[in-house]
Amino acid sequence: MDAILEVKNLSLIKSGKEIIKDFNISIERYSTSAVIGINGAGKSSLAYVLMGLKGYKPDKGRIYFDGKDITELSITERAQLGITLAWQTPSLFEGLTVKDYIQIGAKDKSLSIVKDALERVALDPSVYLHRIVDKSLSGGERKKVELAAVFAMHPKLAILDEPDSGVDTISVEKVMQLIKDFKKMGSTVLLITHRDRVAEIADKAFLMCAGQIIQQGAPKDVTAFFKNECTECNHKGMPVIKKELMKEEVK
Amino acid sequence: MATKIIDEYQAMMEAYEKSGGNVGEFENPNVPSIVISGNKVLGKNEVKGLIIEPTPTKDGVDVKITVKSGTKILYPMALCFGVIPKEGVQIINMEAVIEDNAGMNAISHCVFPNAEHIVHKMNYKIHIGKNSFFRYQEIHFHGEKGGVEVVPYTEGSVGENSLFVSTFTLKEGRVGKLDIKYDVDVMKKGKLELYSKVWAKGKDTVRIEEKGNLRGEESKALIKSRVVLQDEARSKVYSTVNGYAPYARGHVDCTEIVQDSAVAEAVPVVGVTNHLAKITHEAAIGSIDSKELETLESRGLSEEEAIKVVVGGLLK
Ligand SMILES: Nc1ncnc2c1ncn2[C@@H]1O[C@H](COP(=O)(O)OP(=O)(O)O)[C@@H](O)[C@H]1O
Ligand SMILES: [Mg+2]
Repeated sequence: MDAILEVKNLSLIKSGKEIIKDFNISIERYSTSAVIGINGAGKSSLAYVLMGLKGYKPDKGRIYFDGKDITELSITERAQLGITLAWQTPSLFEGLTVKDYIQIGAKDKSLSIVKDALERVALDPSVYLHRIVDKSLSGGERKKVELAAVFAMHPKLAILDEPDSGVDTISVEKVMQLIKDFKKMGSTVLLITHRDRVAEIADKAFLMCAGQIIQQGAPKDVTAFFKNECTECNHKGMPVIKKELMKEEVK
Repeated sequence: MATKIIDEYQAMMEAYEKSGGNVGEFENPNVPSIVISGNKVLGKNEVKGLIIEPTPTKDGVDVKITVKSGTKILYPMALCFGVIPKEGVQIINMEAVIEDNAGMNAISHCVFPNAEHIVHKMNYKIHIGKNSFFRYQEIHFHGEKGGVEVVPYTEGSVGENSLFVSTFTLKEGRVGKLDIKYDVDVMKKGKLELYSKVWAKGKDTVRIEEKGNLRGEESKALIKSRVVLQDEARSKVYSTVNGYAPYARGHVDCTEIVQDSAVAEAVPVVGVTNHLAKITHEAAIGSIDSKELETLESRGLSEEEAIKVVVGGLLK
């Protein structure tokens, strides 16, 4: 397998709690991989560690991107290598237009690229280009602008943290299509979600629980496990799931 | 003497352009304008319904601007004030009278490109009649030495159903010492909006004291200040809205960003003497939100570039 991203024995401790534990994952180039898990599983924290946020320097482990150890690199350096993140709750920016915001990261800053990205998330450019990315945007609109900005960047690896959250049901279809378009464009997608329906558009799924990957495989199998078996664990005792998993493996 | 004046005019125009102005405005007969360098009036253009009456004084110029009743001036008036030498004093006393059913927009550039020790005082008296508007924007352009003391004081009254918007911007070059004061009365259904945007560096000091008095029923005021401080700059922002009349509505919104060892203070004061009035305020002082910076960094900007984007947006 040609892995674009490899994470080895990653651990992150926050306020004395190990949020990410001995975490390993390998993401195939040009694939769409879903990381699914309930609230609090550590998905966003994983995204932050991969992006290199200051408060999320791993306590243990290494991260390799394109075969290069990027564990010590800054956010900017990682972004310049082609990694970016569509934030779960994106920040607001006073005085910055949607056009400015999208152009900041866009490889090709032409207006047609900006408009195309907006259309892909069902935002009419004639209405939204000059809107300000501040509290005057609704949560759903802001999320769509975020996805458009990440799309316009043509990243090698797009980490999408809950891309559908806050987006209305009609637009969710557009967002799903956009995720597929990332792949067509040649981006590798790391799709973070707690919704099985979203995970199912991926090529491969990883189930994350209490900071670890506890299962991986075809999205349908992983989401079925997530829906049917995961509840037993109730996110308290990893061992319960481990036992279930072991049973599966024995079978 | 004549060439000296031409040189001075040339220098003023250069600084005007540097501060973002379009020099062509001073040649367009449809655009009302005035150019004052020190205590000399270097240019003036009146249009129909607008009277500009300058009187040179020892240290500056007294100017009365009148927009006659029933006149809406089509193009924004262009004003250029400044001092070209390193040192000097300029005191401008400006009275602006916007009569009833009248209106004007005006953009004033105050330029001190070589300032080392300059005092610039502006005393504005603004009278806006009924059903009228006056939007005034003042943009400052100072040199990099920080030797300017800028003291703009505005007293005004906004008549029934009228609008006064005043925007003060100082983000190019050093501030030096800035001391802004506003005291404006707003009558029935009148509306006041005051915006201050300042970027202070080095040992700059900023003092902003803004006061809106909502005296008429259903009058409104918004006071919005954005101050970005770096190095050892200091600022104090006192924003006051008083609601004296029923259904008066006011809001104070102050954000100050501090970097390095800069110090900021914000004192929003909201007073209500009529129980049907409602005044609100929000004030935030702090460093630049790290999540905002990290978001921009995740798009490939360096930390310095990200700071510029956030600050630029805030001061826009
Ligand atoms: N800075 C922090 N300090 C302490 N606990 C944190 C911090 N950030 C996240 N957590 C905790 O880590 C766990 C994982 O959080 P998060 O990564 O946001 O989960 P998810 O995105 O899967 O919902 C949660 O229990 C959360 O409360
Ligand atoms: Mg999350």
